Amino acid sequence: MPLTVQIPYTRLIDDHGQPQADLPAWIDDPQLLRAFYQDMVLVRAFDQKCVALQRTGQIGTYASTLGQEAIGAAVGHAMTAEDVLIPYYRDTSTQLQRGVAMHEILLYWGGDERGSAWENPAVAEDFPICVPIATQACHACGVASAFRIRQQARVAVTTCGDGATSKGDFLESLNLAGVWQLPVVFVVNNNQWAISVPRSLQTAAPTLAHKALAAGIPGEQVDGNDVLAVYDRVSQAIQRARAGKGATLVECVTYRLGDHTTADDASRYRSADELNAAWKHEPIGRLQRFLHDHGLWDEQQEQQLQRDITERINDAVERFRNMPPSDTAAAFDYLYAELPAQYQAQREQLQARLDARGGTGHE
Amino acid sequence: MKQFKLPDLGEGLQEAEIVEWHVQAGDEVEVDQLLVSVETAKAIVDVPSPYAGVISRCFGKPGDLLHVGEPLVGFEGEAEDSGTVVGNLGAASGSSDLAADDFHIGAAPSTRDFQPARAAPAVRALARKLDVELGRVSGSGPNGLITEQDVRSASEGPAGFEGTALRSVRRTMAKNMARAHAEVVPVMIVEDADLHGWPTSARDPIIRLARAIAKACLAEPALNVAFDGRRLSIQTHDKVDLGVAVDTPDGLFVPVLRDVASREAEDLREGLARLRRDVANRSIPPSELMGATITLSNFGTLFGRYASPVVVPPQVAIVGAGVIRDAVVAWQGEPAVHPILPISLTFDHRAVTGGEAARFLKALVEDLERSS
Repeated sequence: MPLTVQIPYTRLIDDHGQPQADLPAWIDDPQLLRAFYQDMVLVRAFDQKCVALQRTGQIGTYASTLGQEAIGAAVGHAMTAEDVLIPYYRDTSTQLQRGVAMHEILLYWGGDERGSAWENPAVAEDFPICVPIATQACHACGVASAFRIRQQARVAVTTCGDGATSKGDFLESLNLAGVWQLPVVFVVNNNQWAISVPRSLQTAAPTLAHKALAAGIPGEQVDGNDVLAVYDRVSQAIQRARAGKGATLVECVTYRLGDHTTADDASRYRSADELNAAWKHEPIGRLQRFLHDHGLWDEQQEQQLQRDITERINDAVERFRNMPPSDTAAAFDYLYAELPAQYQAQREQLQARLDARGGTGHE
Repeated sequence: MKQFKLPDLGEGLQEAEIVEWHVQAGDEVEVDQLLVSVETAKAIVDVPSPYAGVISRCFGKPGDLLHVGEPLVGFEGEAEDSGTVVGNLGAASGSSDLAADDFHIGAAPSTRDFQPARAAPAVRALARKLDVELGRVSGSGPNGLITEQDVRSASEGPAGFEGTALRSVRRTMAKNMARAHAEVVPVMIVEDADLHGWPTSARDPIIRLARAIAKACLAEPALNVAFDGRRLSIQTHDKVDLGVAVDTPDGLFVPVLRDVASREAEDLREGLARLRRDVANRSIPPSELMGATITLSNFGTLFGRYASPVVVPPQVAIVGAGVIRDAVVAWQGEPAVHPILPISLTFDHRAVTGGEAARFLKALVEDLERSS
């Protein structure tokens, strides 16, 4: 039986910033359009700095979002403050939109628990970065269930990569979200590569969005390099969930222009031709062109933005460097609301040893 | 000079090979300017500069392998923080005790010293057999893997050492002594035998020593046994077959004087003379060099007082006899000058107790001190 189901695909502007359809009414918001652009430029520069910090031993492994900046910028703006983000490790941009501070993101990748204990009360209920693949989809169903039980008009938004859609956790979560009609939105960053596994070897499904159909929820594709399209479709999905109509899967089709993480070298399994071709579709240039064309951006603003970004990033790095190290015993303090007795005993044992040695345990 | 040390560039990667330098000593660099490309087990990585400054030194050449924590680049300027710059997050302002706290993210101390040698189990077994310390062998296999040939080469000594190879008797001596040293747990006990009761003419004690050892073996048979350290078993001997160490220019010979407990002194003297003659002529059959149950090293014919002679398994004891000398001793409450024969006994404590050894030595010395 042929797979005849057509999955909707949305693109609002093309590689050259040219409108591809009737643009939605919300487009008449120059401030929002500029914010998309500024956020994407910021995260690209911040990613570059993070890689340099990893290369000089100042933070650990880092996952750059190079080429996929549109997704985080769009999702971050589409969510409202009372929604909850359940992110994975390629969500720097989304987290920044939500209100996580840059130096906190550096702390996280520097292995410091305080990198997930954010100061901004606006993100108090957002989840920390999930590194195990697809488990965050289950967490998101839990969060969405809580919203239903409490009868709150809030939405759980979770993100994952293309590789995660092959995991049981992801498929089970889709199923649960469908049958319980949960207020959850699954945003898939299909960047074509699960570390070294290409999309073609990931699944025989024609699109990743098809996976939603078996769960009885809508699945659709958007041009993941078109921040306007992503914002439009994710906003729709969030509104739908908030209205009690259930979950949606939005597959953002994009391309990972960088390595999987700083511990990877994509040139070993990916051709330079493919990479060069993908650069032609990257998200920032097309939005800049669109803004230019509509008189919303000029060279002076660009230069001011670059100066601001450099300053903000340098300030964040400086703040990160100047953070006093946390106590070694803090390793126990961030997982449980109340530390179980056996860990309490271990914590005291560790603290006694540290006290006997003097200092914080960092040598 | 501030030093930028090689950080962990992956997840737990301990080393990186320099591919290409993009700067050289004297260059002024900006923060995040590309310094060097290195290759880890996972990737070729471009390493940027952690700060602005003037390069004073690049450590290593393309192809060199650096370990995490080893210096990569030196910057001009004073060493501000004991040479550790990378990942030193510094101190919170106003908190003085933190200033002394070197907090590193990513950069671990050099792990070269803690890395176990990489070798397959069979190669490890060979190294144990050949007594080669793997930590001192540099592997020629992939990623420094130590091969069987590496171990064999190491056991043959360092290349370029041009000594004269030991041959025959000396070679055997070297091997036997090394094996004995590796296996035996030697303990030494010494005593002097006062020979004032001996006829004044008697100064060649070898036959008396043989008899005294035989008597001591009778009194304490525990020292006249064969011990198997692998099976941890002891085999007692009915007879005392005494190995007698004979020094020759070619090395050490230990011909065996059979059944010394039941032979007359004259018989023993003739037997010993024959053995020595055969050794000197190199005509002694191998069978005459095997099967000693206990050994005597009469180095007193040469020089020296006490010694710690080596027990050769499966024997468990060896007696050393030094030069007979005149010495002042306390004799019936008065100082007196007596001929004194110093005796050393080494025993293998795996098989023999200290008490057994002391009783053996007491019986030996008491027999020696008899006038005839």
